Amino acid sequence: MSSNEVTLRQESTGQPLDTESEVQDTPAPPAIPFYTECSEAAQAELFNECEAQFAQLEMLQNEIILAEPDSDENPQEQSVNRLTAVAAELKQWQTRRPELLSTNPEVLLVVGAEELQKLNSQLELVLSCAQAKRDTLRETLKSEQKWLEEKKEVLRAGTEHVVKQRLENERLSEHSVLQDTKKKIQKMKDYQNRLMETLADVLAEHFPLPTQETNADKKKKNIPQELNENLISLNEVLELLMNKTLETPHDPYVSIDETFWPPYTEMLLRHGIAQRHPEDCFKIRLETFY
Amino acid sequence: MSLLKPFSKLPGLNTANIMLVENEEQFQQKLADTVVLQEKTVNVNVRLARSLPLPVENEESRPRIDLVVFIIHLTSELSFQSAETSLKYLDPGYFQGKVCFLVTNARNVSVPPERLVSVRKLAASLHCPLLCAEDQTTEGVTTAAHRLLAILKVAAGLVPMATGLYLSTLTRCTVPSGIDQQNFE
Repeated sequence: MSSNEVTLRQESTGQPLDTESEVQDTPAPPAIPFYTECSEAAQAELFNECEAQFAQLEMLQNEIILAEPDSDENPQEQSVNRLTAVAAELKQWQTRRPELLSTNPEVLLVVGAEELQKLNSQLELVLSCAQAKRDTLRETLKSEQKWLEEKKEVLRAGTEHVVKQRLENERLSEHSVLQDTKKKIQKMKDYQNRLMETLADVLAEHFPLPTQETNADKKKKNIPQELNENLISLNEVLELLMNKTLETPHDPYVSIDETFWPPYTEMLLRHGIAQRHPEDCFKIRLETFY
Repeated sequence: MSLLKPFSKLPGLNTANIMLVENEEQFQQKLADTVVLQEKTVNVNVRLARSLPLPVENEESRPRIDLVVFIIHLTSELSFQSAETSLKYLDPGYFQGKVCFLVTNARNVSVPPERLVSVRKLAASLHCPLLCAEDQTTEGVTTAAHRLLAILKVAAGLVPMATGLYLSTLTRCTVPSGIDQQNFE
């Protein structure tokens, strides 16, 4: 046999490659405490049964050793052997009848009690596990509900805000725009009035009409001057010009007559406040500021 | 006697014996400790070996081995070859649900994919289950130990209504016809 040869060769080289060591056994498990102790008779009966079983086992073992066939290296043979073994096992399962563990009711009682205890402890484990699971689920539910409440609160606040905004929007569009515009107009009017007043004040203060005193000063220089009693103030001149521009924009020219004091007319023209008519030198108009 | 036989000895009472065969001896000790620690209701003996055949002098003291696990590191070619040669020293009876392959480093990028395929083919040809394990993390070792124990208990006959042969017909490794060397190139 080939395997034998290999063994011999290995041994002759004196190098046993394979080592074999043993790992310590697990300590024998403590015997499960019996729920109720069996009576002596029952124990003896069980013992006898075990003896009988073991004797049968030994007998079978001897049979196996005696019947040990020559080992086949051929894989095909191995497959056939396997098939045979499986078939034999199948047959055995089919013919096998369930047999009672023991006929002694006392033994059965103890075994049953043991089984029930085992089942009980397992179920207790399941119970505690389920309880723990339930507790965690409850916690989760609580936190989820809290979360939901928060979200609802947020939603409520958001909706409220939206409604408020919408209302405000509507109010703005109808009423407040009008009010706003009115206010603006009023503001503009006020502004204009103020400007006008200021202008009138400035003109009244700094551009007075020539009076007799001033004429008297000038008379000292021997400059004879006719004083027109009908002269209108600069204020009125400007008013005329502005009104003319606003009333008849197509023809804003005003004719200069004797009521206009020439120095003021000249000043208006020089400072670019008024403009002469390009063809008629007796007509002036307000400079186009707009 | 060079062949390791599954039924040459009487089984121990409430005892299961597992043998871890690993050429490199890196992983087996860690796995053995974890296996022993994991199981509380059954006496588990773990035996370690580099390769088969086992030395003759221990023949007498060696208990009946219920499950032989070949640990194969995909990173080394030698690991696979060693397992392949060791397989010859197993009685064919072992291949009826008492052998299992444990592969590590399957996710390593540097491993040529053909190696895993060849291990799968080997396991499939012997009708054995093939487990993949992570040997670097504690969690991976625990998982591997857990899975081995499940198989071991069945193989040792400690699970009522289940036998190793029956389990192996369900868990044996199969190689889909599509997987070939060409597909990986």
